[in-house]
Amino acid sequence: MADENIIVYTDKTVVKMQGLDVKGLDTRALEKILMDKFHSVVRVIGVTGSSIDMDIYGIDPEQIEKDEHGLIQAISTTEGVTATELAKLAGAEKIVPVDINHIPQRDHDYCARERWLHHD
Amino acid sequence: MIDTATIIPTGDEIKAGIVFDTDSAAVVQQLVRYNPEMQITRIAPVTDEEDKIEQAIRKAAAASDLVVLIGGSGGGHRYSSTLGKDFTHTALEAMLSPSASRQLFGKNGHLWSCLVCGRLGDALVLNLPGPFVEASAAIEAFVKNAASDDLERINAAMAEAVRKQYP
Repeated sequence: MADENIIVYTDKTVVKMQGLDVKGLDTRALEKILMDKFHSVVRVIGVTGSSIDMDIYGIDPEQIEKDEHGLIQAISTTEGVTATELAKLAGAEKIVPVDINHIPQRDHDYCARERWLHHD
Repeated sequence: MIDTATIIPTGDEIKAGIVFDTDSAAVVQQLVRYNPEMQITRIAPVTDEEDKIEQAIRKAAAASDLVVLIGGSGGGHRYSSTLGKDFTHTALEAMLSPSASRQLFGKNGHLWSCLVCGRLGDALVLNLPGPFVEASAAIEAFVKNAASDDLERINAAMAEAVRKQYP
C-alpha cells in the first residue's frame, strides 16, 4: 500500500462545550454562526447529545474563555442546540507543536482491536 | 465509467439524528456531475464499530462500482473521550488491495484525517472526512480525477483538497 504522511502547520484552539441539549444539528449552520462571531474558521469535529467539540483557528484560548457567555449564547441560537443551565466551556486549549519525528509510525499487522488501541 | 455507487455514512451521532447527515447530499451532487446516469444508494448510517463498517463495505462493494464512506477518518478519540471512535480508515486499510493512503497530521502530532482509496474486488472504495467542507472538497477532487483510475493520483488529489481546507 502506498502510504504518505502530510504535516499541516496551522494554529488552532480546541474547544469543548458541555451542558447542551443537541438534537438535529446542522453543523454547517453552527460553524457559520461561530465564524461570523469570531471572524475566523471554525470546524465542528465532534458532537454528542450533550456536548460539542470544535476547532477554532487563529484565536487564542484566553479570548475564547473571556467570552464564554457570548459563545454559549451564539451556540444556543443554532437550530438543534439548547443551552441548559449547566452549559459551560469545558476546555479551550491551543495545540502544542511537537517534533515531527515524534509522529507515530503506523503498523497494519495487528488485529483490528489492537490496531485501534495502539495506533488508530 | 462508474455507473453505480453506494454511500455509507458512519457515526453514532449521525445514526441517532443528533447531527444531520448533510454530507451524503453533497456527495450525490458531485457524483451526478460526474455521471448524470449514475444510480446512487445511500444506506442507513453505520455505528462506529469496525466489524459493522467492514460488513457494510463488503456488501456495498459487491453491489456497486463505487463505495463512498463518510466520517471516522481521524484519530480524535485518542485525545478526547467525547469524540467518536474513528474506525473507517482502519477498516479500509485492512480490506483494500491495491490501495493508496495519506495521513494528515497536525503540527501537534495528532492524526487529523486519514484518507484511503483502493480496490475491493471490482469496486473502488474510498473514504471522506466528516466535517462538511472537508467532505465536499474531497469528493469534488475525486470526481475531477475519477476518470484516471489511478489510485495514487486520486488519493493525492483528495488529500490535497482536504489540506487546503485548513487555514
